[in-house]
Amino acid sequence: MLSVEGLVVRYGPIEAVRGIDFTVNRGEVFALLGANGAGKSSTLAAIAGLVKPFAGRITYDGKPVSGLPPETLSRAGIGLVPEGRRIFASLTVAENLWLGGAAHGSTAERQQLQKEMEERFPILGERARQKAGLLSGGEQQMLAIARALMARPKLLLLDEPSLGLAPQMVEKVFDLIAAMRKEGLTILLVEQNVPMSLQIADRGIVLANGHIVVSGTGVELLHNSDVTNAYLAA
Amino acid sequence: MEVFLQQCVNAISLGGIYALLALGLAVVFSIVRLINFAHGEVMTIAGYAIWLALLSSVPVVAAIILGITVAMLASVAMERIAFRAMRGASVTSLLITSFAVSEIVKVLFQNGISARPVPIVLPAWMSGSINMGFLTISVMSLISIIVVAVSLVALSVILTRTTLGVAMRAAAEDFPVVRLVGIKANHVVALAFAISGALAGVAAVLWVAQRGSVDPLMGAAPVLKAFIATVLGGLGSLSGAVLGGFVVGAVEVFLQGYLPESVAPYREAISLSIIIGLLVLRPDGLWPAQNVNRS
Amino acid sequence: MMTKLTAKLAAVLFGTTLLAAPALAEDFVIGVTAAQSGWLATYDQPSYAGFKFCIDEINAKGGLGGKYKAVIDVRDTRSDTAEAVKVAQEFADKKVNFIVSPADGDPTMAMGQITSPAGIPTMTFAGTAPILTSVGEFVFGSYPGDNQQAAVLGAYAAELGYKTAWLLKSPDSSYTMKGPEYFGQVFEAKGGKVIGEGSFTLNQPDFSAIVTTIKALDPQPDVIATWAWEPDFPAFIKALRGAGVTTPVMGADVLDTPTVRGLGDVVNGIVHTSGGYPEPGSKHADFNARFKAATGMEADTNYVVNGCDIALMIDAAVTAAGSSDPKAVRDALANLKDSPGNMSNFTFAGTDRMPLRAVVLAKIENGQKTFIRRQLADPATMPKP
Ligand SMILES: Nc1ncnc2c1ncn2[C@@H]1O[C@H](COP(=O)(O)OP(=O)(O)OP(=O)(O)O)[C@@H](O)[C@H]1O
Ligand SMILES: [Mg+2]
Repeated sequence: MLSVEGLVVRYGPIEAVRGIDFTVNRGEVFALLGANGAGKSSTLAAIAGLVKPFAGRITYDGKPVSGLPPETLSRAGIGLVPEGRRIFASLTVAENLWLGGAAHGSTAERQQLQKEMEERFPILGERARQKAGLLSGGEQQMLAIARALMARPKLLLLDEPSLGLAPQMVEKVFDLIAAMRKEGLTILLVEQNVPMSLQIADRGIVLANGHIVVSGTGVELLHNSDVTNAYLAA
Repeated sequence: MEVFLQQCVNAISLGGIYALLALGLAVVFSIVRLINFAHGEVMTIAGYAIWLALLSSVPVVAAIILGITVAMLASVAMERIAFRAMRGASVTSLLITSFAVSEIVKVLFQNGISARPVPIVLPAWMSGSINMGFLTISVMSLISIIVVAVSLVALSVILTRTTLGVAMRAAAEDFPVVRLVGIKANHVVALAFAISGALAGVAAVLWVAQRGSVDPLMGAAPVLKAFIATVLGGLGSLSGAVLGGFVVGAVEVFLQGYLPESVAPYREAISLSIIIGLLVLRPDGLWPAQNVNRS
Repeated sequence: MMTKLTAKLAAVLFGTTLLAAPALAEDFVIGVTAAQSGWLATYDQPSYAGFKFCIDEINAKGGLGGKYKAVIDVRDTRSDTAEAVKVAQEFADKKVNFIVSPADGDPTMAMGQITSPAGIPTMTFAGTAPILTSVGEFVFGSYPGDNQQAAVLGAYAAELGYKTAWLLKSPDSSYTMKGPEYFGQVFEAKGGKVIGEGSFTLNQPDFSAIVTTIKALDPQPDVIATWAWEPDFPAFIKALRGAGVTTPVMGADVLDTPTVRGLGDVVNGIVHTSGGYPEPGSKHADFNARFKAATGMEADTNYVVNGCDIALMIDAAVTAAGSSDPKAVRDALANLKDSPGNMSNFTFAGTDRMPLRAVVLAKIENGQKTFIRRQLADPATMPKP
């Protein structure tokens, strides 16, 4: 579904991603792990079109997509739940959801989907008319995910969805990821919570300083001491 | 008392025009971080469009609609031609670009039409006044106030009831994420410039109706005031721009009306001091934008 | 447009040839500042058009004083006084024979501080503040001064039976400040009374507050006098009439423009001074016709004919001096007496270089300028600058 070859991301002189290759298969959960500053978010940003790759190829659904603008990629089915949630705080919860689906499907379909989201995340239904900035951190995370789902993505990029959440909330997020996979969504997951993400992931890679240091199935990585080392090394 | 009420009406009617202009500046700034100094020229363009239309004996109402439409198109065209290529550039580069656009438009009018003002004659009933018992209000003030109110309501409907309008508010907070959900950046920016231009067009109609002439520098003075209003309200805040516009209008009118003649020459200095004083008390503006954009 | 371009081209070409070789003895170089943009362009441009037209006519007849070919070096000041000063310095360095400065007193005075010590006669296109000649012996006016206009207008106001006047001034220019004051002095000398005044800033956005103040005056004045120009005057009069104030308004020569006359009902009945009026058969009317025939442009303000008269003044001075020497030309100019002009005759002798010229009183009626009368200011009531 998604293949990344020789991806390099630069911010001026800083090289955040230094030539990585990986492939994500349709319907799987693929984990992207690594210490702070390893280049995880930069990789997702390049896939979603937020930054232009300095070098490398990204292919989605068999078509080259590197360097396309984010709106085109979104319309092609790539959704990103960005790091730090980045919900529209001054908009209402309902407006956030509405915008999520604004560029996708007919009005009727959007209304239907919005209703589904409000059923799936009851809190979002209850607080529909409230400013999104007033939601709790966990609720905001739900909103960020729901907003991305409103675009009916085929590939969902999740950047640290469990960050800063209470254990209960974390579990809820992982349940949600499992449920989404069941619905046929392909998920590229960046997480700090290594054990939980590797339990759910089909496959994954670990980044350090912009390079891939280990790759394998979720189970393999779970038992690989290099993974823990990669975190300590940073 | 009657004089005071009358000055209040003056303040609201002048402040309303500043509010429309300030709002136009803020709408654009909140999204593309551009302080558009060519905004005044959009107003001037609308003025000349109305003048030309009236010269060609177009009915007044049609001329007014034409003026507003032309302002809207001019604003969008400016973005296309001058600002789009600069998108993402620093605030300073954008500011300088807008200065250049402003100068070019002024020179075009000076050399293409005339450096001198051209008269605009609107129907006599528009320059009359209405006796409301205790108060005589000029028809133009009344029209101004109503038009400003209608424009503000219309804008808030656009911003809350239409998808692109909501997207514009979202873009003011976090433009990249708006693009991430698939909304085209160019559409949002074009809408912002269109709204900004339409507001300048409406302001221009009220302005030329009150002043009776159009000249190449017409937009410069009011837009400078509007710029002060946006800073006073809180740069990038739409509600702040409206509030700022009314405050600047009120300061101007009340100083003119009540300052003793001996200090009158210092009026502008005093009015700026008051505004600076307000900014010292509230450095982020009277009604700052809720969120700062994450870069 | 065409003439402007040619003039510019000539200026550029000449500027370079002058660098290459000194001016021929027969050339009489006139440095001219004419704003192409900004508020002064309103007055500079028509003035320059008339000036250029008559200089060409004079050259065609053999030149200034019959022997000197007049060469114009025209520069754009963008209505910026600093730019005018810079140009003045360039003219002084270049040792031009004569300078024509912007149509306002303030930049003219700034330029005069350089050109007068340099010994180059300098004449304003249409600056009317009588103090403008006080900067130096070489600085001249061309249009009847504000005090002359005020003397005629103030006397006329008193004659109409007005007892009280209210003045609208702006401290931003000597013209808008002193004009109404002169008016007040004459009006009071003739038995009237100034009951109040207000001030505005140039390019003031809004006049509603001033109008409210005027409206609240009790008793109302019989007349309001102002030297405000465009776009302030249109804005003021619209606001005033819009508020239902019908008090007569009197103004100065700046109101003599098609823009003001084109404002419709609100300017009906306004009385203003002017430098001239093209009565049929007059030299003024003849000039307007020639100008229109040659350029295709309507000489729709007096600044055009006055621009021409400046060329005539220079010609008369050069003729009287019999020389192109700046000092000789200055002295001859300062001694001209009832010398013929198209708009009106001019006398410099016995004045402090602000010419004594007839002032016309005109009234705007249905968008037309109508003639009231033409008269010379009465020296007895003319305010001192
Ligand atoms: N916009 C930017 N400009 C400059 N440098 C950046 C930018 N974004 C990221 N970087 C740098 O690129 C490197 C990789 O950052 P990135 O955000 O991809 O790491 P990450 O793996 O997501 O880290 P974290 O776990 O802390 O989120 C870091 O050194 C970071 O400082
Ligand atoms: Mg990250």
